[in-house]
Amino acid sequence: MTDIEDKIMEIVARETRRERASLSLDTELSEVESLDLVQIIFAIEDEFDVYVPQEDESFKLDNLRDVVEGVKLLIAEKQDQSAESA
Amino acid sequence: MSPALHRVAITGMGCISGLGHDADSHWQACRDGRSGVETIRQVDPARLNIKVCAEVKDFDPASHFPERQLNLLDRVSQFAVYAARQALADSALELDSELMRRTAVVLGTGAGGMNTLDNQFWRLYGEGNRRVMPLTVPRLMVSAAASHVTMDAKIMGPAFMISSACSSANHAIGEAFWMIRTGRARAAVTGGTEACLTYGTIRGWEALRVMTPDVCRPFSHKRRGMLLGEGAGVFVLERLEDARARGAKIYAELAGMGMSSDAGDIVFPSEEGAAAAITGALEDAGLAPEEIDYINAHGTGTAANDVTETRAIRRALGAAADKVPVSSTKGVHGHALGGAGALELVAAVRAITDQVIPPTANYLEPDPDCDLDYVPNQARPAAVRTVLSNSFAFGGLNAVLAVRAVD
Repeated sequence: MTDIEDKIMEIVARETRRERASLSLDTELSEVESLDLVQIIFAIEDEFDVYVPQEDESFKLDNLRDVVEGVKLLIAEKQDQSAESA
Repeated sequence: MSPALHRVAITGMGCISGLGHDADSHWQACRDGRSGVETIRQVDPARLNIKVCAEVKDFDPASHFPERQLNLLDRVSQFAVYAARQALADSALELDSELMRRTAVVLGTGAGGMNTLDNQFWRLYGEGNRRVMPLTVPRLMVSAAASHVTMDAKIMGPAFMISSACSSANHAIGEAFWMIRTGRARAAVTGGTEACLTYGTIRGWEALRVMTPDVCRPFSHKRRGMLLGEGAGVFVLERLEDARARGAKIYAELAGMGMSSDAGDIVFPSEEGAAAAITGALEDAGLAPEEIDYINAHGTGTAANDVTETRAIRRALGAAADKVPVSSTKGVHGHALGGAGALELVAAVRAITDQVIPPTANYLEPDPDCDLDYVPNQARPAAVRTVLSNSFAFGGLNAVLAVRAVD
């Protein structure tokens, strides 16, 4: 389990008040209530210092695997940007 | 032809204020002139010029709300839900599937979710953070408290909030009263709530130069101004005939309401406007000035309000004004703004049920311009059957409630 995945699982477990062990990469986001979801997005943005885009077709989130991959992508983009500006 | 109006009973009361966490302790402190004013705890007093207020103390929201519900509740909604639970339990009203749809929730607040606003805007402007918490909007919206009371109690009738600054609670209670009177609702949960003791809000009040740095002394010589309070008062209203039919405990009848607007100044009150609301309440309740046994005054302790209110009472009651005891309980529970009328209605109703008039606390000596009987410093046993409760808001929005004993 990567560090990013670990932190995301921790956030989701906290915000949905679920046992960490009950979550997997295949956990569907449809199981998460909408208010919990906005709290999860907020916490992820805080943790990784990224902006999770809205209404972006390329950023399709169905399950936690998508979330982890998406966050990795956002972090990579951010690192590219800071490399360019350096 | 308009249908006959229903009489309206008060059958439940709940309260949280700087004086205590229930209607009983709130009332007892009002009656005993025991002040809830202390150095503020929610804000660092070193950052304030006015360091005292009547704050709700030792309230632990986590012991009353599960974490998931608490995340959604600004302090102003916590107070409303907490007081509404008390009022509903006190009324023993059974909200069956029919009644839950015909029960209204009408609450007043002046400012809404100011703690949320202050905290989240501090993140932006103070800390330079670019984001606020995701629940900022649903927590701070002015109507949130009413929504949470409906969700907490499963009430599905008409629900909304009314905002008219320091008259918010009286306007809300008056509207709920009219809804039951006219048959638009069968029962109602109504009152007012306020929780705006934030750094930003207190700074705003300080700038108005209407607050005393130490003791609030309504109607007294050497009074120096008002003090802020906070809290909520919530009541259960229902048709008097329904309350009697179910054998409910009936505190009193809500008998009338008068409203007016000064159309004058945004802060300075008008004698004429206040008098019109008092007269309106008397006429609506079918009461003569001589029948009033007690007036719970708006009595903020400012130079302007107390003189204007005194003159307004004289204008509305005429010669009877010399015989009517008038007191302000704000010296002990502070000015709870949009919740004020509700905290004061608890005292007004208990004056009837307990046959004792709560005093104007902290009174020193008469002010020649305030020449009524203010029941200084000591509660007064009295035959109290009819009471008026005044609220006169900034912006000249006036609302007066009339309450009378039920035989």
